[in-house]
Amino acid sequence: MLVVSGLTDYAIEMKGIVKIYPGGTVALKGVDFAVKEGEIHGLLGENGAGKTTLVEILYGTRRPTAGKIFIRSKEVDVKSPRDAMDMGIGMVHQHFTLIPVFTALQNIVLGDEPIGSMGILDIEQARSKIEELMEETGLKVDLDTPVENLSTGEKQRVEILKMLYRNADILILDEPTAVLTPLEVKELFEFLKKMREANKTIVFITHKLREVKAITDVVTVLRRGKVVGKVKTDEVSIEELARMMVGREVLFRLEKKPREPGEPQLILEDLWVLDDRGDFAVKGISLQVRSGEIFGIAGVEGNGQTELVEAIAGLRRVSKGHIILAGKDVTNADPHTLYELGLGHIPEDRHRRGIILEFTLAENSILGLQRKNPFANNMGILEEEKILDWARELIKRFSVDAPSPTIPASSLSGGNQQKLIVGRELMKNPKVVVAAQPTRGLDVAATEYIRETLLRMRDEGRAVLLVSADLDEVLMLSDRIGVMYEGELMGVARPEDLTIEEIGLMMGGVKLDEIRKGGAS
Amino acid sequence: MKGLITLLRKYIKPISESIISVLIGVVVGSIIILLAGYSPLVFYEALFSGSFKHTRAFLDTLSYMIPLTMTALSFAVAARASVFNIGAEGQMYMGALIANIVGTYIRLPRLIHPFVAVIAAFLAGGFWGWLAGILKTKRKVNEVVSTIMLNWIAFYIVNYVSTYHIFDPKAPYKTAYVLESSRFPPLVKGTSFTADFIIAIFVAIIVFFLVWKTSLGYEIRAVGLNPTAAEYGGVNPGKIASIAMFIAGGCGGLAGAFLVLGRFGFITTTLTNVLNWGFDGIAVSLVGRNHPLGIIISSFFFAILNSGALEVQVATSKGGQIGVPYELVLAVMGIIVIAVSVPGLLDLIRARLRGRKEVEKVAMA
Amino acid sequence: MPWLKILSFLLYPTFYAGMLRLMVPIVLGALGEVIAERSGVVNIGLEGIILLGALFSTYVGHKTVNLWFAIGAGLFVGLIVGLLHALIAVYLAGDQIIDGVGLNMFALGIGEVVLYLTWGSFATSPQLPREARVPSMGGFSPFVILTIALAILSWFFLEKTKWGLRLRAAGENPVAAEAAGIDVYKIRVIATVAGSMLTALAGIFLALDWLGGYTKNVSAGRGFIALALVVFSRWNPIVALGGGLIFGFCYAFSLSIPSGIIADQVLYSVPYVATLLISMGFLAKARPPGAVGRPYKRV
Repeated sequence: MLVVSGLTDYAIEMKGIVKIYPGGTVALKGVDFAVKEGEIHGLLGENGAGKTTLVEILYGTRRPTAGKIFIRSKEVDVKSPRDAMDMGIGMVHQHFTLIPVFTALQNIVLGDEPIGSMGILDIEQARSKIEELMEETGLKVDLDTPVENLSTGEKQRVEILKMLYRNADILILDEPTAVLTPLEVKELFEFLKKMREANKTIVFITHKLREVKAITDVVTVLRRGKVVGKVKTDEVSIEELARMMVGREVLFRLEKKPREPGEPQLILEDLWVLDDRGDFAVKGISLQVRSGEIFGIAGVEGNGQTELVEAIAGLRRVSKGHIILAGKDVTNADPHTLYELGLGHIPEDRHRRGIILEFTLAENSILGLQRKNPFANNMGILEEEKILDWARELIKRFSVDAPSPTIPASSLSGGNQQKLIVGRELMKNPKVVVAAQPTRGLDVAATEYIRETLLRMRDEGRAVLLVSADLDEVLMLSDRIGVMYEGELMGVARPEDLTIEEIGLMMGGVKLDEIRKGGAS
Repeated sequence: MKGLITLLRKYIKPISESIISVLIGVVVGSIIILLAGYSPLVFYEALFSGSFKHTRAFLDTLSYMIPLTMTALSFAVAARASVFNIGAEGQMYMGALIANIVGTYIRLPRLIHPFVAVIAAFLAGGFWGWLAGILKTKRKVNEVVSTIMLNWIAFYIVNYVSTYHIFDPKAPYKTAYVLESSRFPPLVKGTSFTADFIIAIFVAIIVFFLVWKTSLGYEIRAVGLNPTAAEYGGVNPGKIASIAMFIAGGCGGLAGAFLVLGRFGFITTTLTNVLNWGFDGIAVSLVGRNHPLGIIISSFFFAILNSGALEVQVATSKGGQIGVPYELVLAVMGIIVIAVSVPGLLDLIRARLRGRKEVEKVAMA
Repeated sequence: MPWLKILSFLLYPTFYAGMLRLMVPIVLGALGEVIAERSGVVNIGLEGIILLGALFSTYVGHKTVNLWFAIGAGLFVGLIVGLLHALIAVYLAGDQIIDGVGLNMFALGIGEVVLYLTWGSFATSPQLPREARVPSMGGFSPFVILTIALAILSWFFLEKTKWGLRLRAAGENPVAAEAAGIDVYKIRVIATVAGSMLTALAGIFLALDWLGGYTKNVSAGRGFIALALVVFSRWNPIVALGGGLIFGFCYAFSLSIPSGIIADQVLYSVPYVATLLISMGFLAKARPPGAVGRPYKRV
């Protein structure tokens, strides 16, 4: 199983890895990453730090722009996941690659099926080996249940067993605890310790500080594509880790006019929302957004922000709790009603939700308003001239770079598409605006413009809920911020009243009042 | 002027792909004629003379457009909501049946009789289409499966009713003639170019207006292009899909009505005189890019093809022996539909001209 | 009791021979499509394939007066059509439904054209000589055994072999299948071609066994019944066999029962209504392969 060779006892050495995407984004700026055999090595960082990109390169799903990779001191070129698997590298992704109707057993052996005589599948051959594995590792799963009937934790066990069945001795796990219950996390950690005893090498990607302390031996911290530190876990405190993960020397702030916020326009009371898998993504969130303020929700993506926004926008069911908009209880109302009551929504995924690419700019400008006067008369016929006028005004007011309103939205750049969406929502004169990841994927100029527009909304007296994985953006724009972690708010405060360490700790899973009571470890 | 150019540029690609598909079909048609021992020129000549040799031929060709346009619109309206309506055939059968019943058994004054029958047929076909829509929305039944099943169920319903209940006692292989008061008269005596041609064109215009100039049409197109964004825009995708299928089914029903009240005046109990217009309509709509204007042009072309094939049969016949049968047209239409199913046909051909490697790149992209 | 007299035809073996004969083409058609759809490819051009299979096997049967060449010709047509459909559906990511519709139209047209041009009739080809026909075994056709065997083999292949597992994986979740190292394109092409050849066998049966030649519209809607059977059987070859027997029974029943008692049309509609009900989730849960009909493009 193991081949001890070479001059060092490093299982993985990645040297000078650079990754530049075709659009020009630099994801990794010369990263060195080395993992010793038999070690549990944590890879810590927030969104966009480059952790997933780095392991994708290691696993062969992406090619590096520059740099070398050594596996057990031998230089290798990992061209595909198949290559990685042959080298003994296994990876459990955030999104499972399983066949839902197949049993766990079938999923585990798929691609490397044991055959009996005449090519007939002899799965039972594999069964004893897998049962042995389950004994050794403590990862128990009912092999004969269709995978779709398993819990997410059990599905993850199937993915892990897949790796072990192919004799992987380098195991990469990308944010494995995102989908687990606390008990399952404990079991996972037991398993990882057993693997370490068996001298397997483990790379554990996470943004959760307590986990880093609980399970890793060494941790490498990435920030914006660079390594900011590599430390032995027991020689570092959670606070230091937080600082490294999030550390900013200069907190860039925009000029904000001081404003007295008004009445709360959007109130969330103990909101509970389920995700697509049937687990709770939002667990009892309560907050208030007042007119004339920007309330920013920070936090690493995947902690329930998407589901929260969808629930507020009427696109996802609320299981428990209430949403109150401009004084009215709108829990589980449909999007149309919410528009009527003054909600504007800038969606996270503009291509999927925000615009219809094949429609013209003009048609997109009235999305949501297609039945209202003056755009449609009482008989339901569209008033084209009025729609064009509206679109022209939008283009002018929001500096959308487009020659005319009759071009298809697909010919606009990302930034201009976003301006179209923002403009459209604002022209509906909303009392409350929910903006989710509003500057994601935009160029510098568009980003600046959108941020200024958000501030303008605040100055005009609207209540703005800003949800962004870009911590800078949240800190820069918000009057108050809340940090979301695993579906809960870790704490709410004004940005100027928080230290960077506190923010990092909250993003990593420590509640604010715990921090302030003194000590989080 | 600039707007016109951008408009043209937007349409140039789909138009040329349609033209290419049609050309491929015509080429294959001439190959078949060649293999049958005749010169392919026969085909081209027949295509022209079949429709343009004299007025009567031209008017006959135009009359073929009537049912084709209706079933094509049926497919198109559903397609705009991203629903695959293979059921125009069955919707047409139901429309034909109801039109026949209203036309034969209900006495109404000449001026309103046809219109009442037509409206009834629209509702019948609409209901049949709506069924498939509701099955998809409420029970997640794939519309290809449901519309194909409904086609056959409709066939047997019409077969049953016409064989046992509304047959003509003097000629039991067909239904009783509809009353004269319910029929659309020929616009030119002695041809099959009946007044419903005008109504058909009118229907195409109404469909255009509905889909592109009303709020409902906006919502239909939004659901068809991006249901998630439509939902965000306050639209209920399931409801819209059902409405679209109702309208689509209604158009199919109209096809049946026009066949009964215009061209024939009856249905054969085995439905032989109304068969296949539904599937032909799919071909017409695909080539017409699911747009009423494209459909009118495309149905004109398919009507020419139809007349042309008849002419081929005549032209290749010598002394009582038929040359190439009329059914050649079906084969040609089939090839056109297959060609249309290939996305980016234009790109592929361009790439082919540039060499093999490009083909793989384009195909895998 | 009049009922006993009316239903007496159920006592005669000829009824069952007829029922089995009716079952063969629809089950063969359905088997082919089950295999293709389990791998993720839809082909609604079954009518067309049956037609073409019958046409070409008849043609070669007449020309060579040799049963095996005739069967080979029919299978060859199935191969070619399968390749064409696979090319469009798998590599070009074309619209699988539309190209099936086109195939049906084409086959209908070309069938008539060839029928007339070769044999001078619009209705039927001349009867095939005995040497080009499948011999019967005491009133039953060897194709019946063949169909049952193929159904069992198909089931066995899909459920019990390594390639069956991979084929099903490709049809359920091609992304996961590729991640496990399976070549989804290749498997889908092979499945489509195999399916098409099985369907062509239905046409071969109609021409070389039952009817002894090619007739106008020989498939007579059987391709669509086969499609219904695929859904009805929940993509399971053995259930397809059973379903085919049920459908065959309905037809044979309607042919044998004296007219006037129950309209033919009611019995003929049974397969379609039953399929609709199954699709709606009544009677049994029908769950299509996860990725069926959706073209897969390698990232």
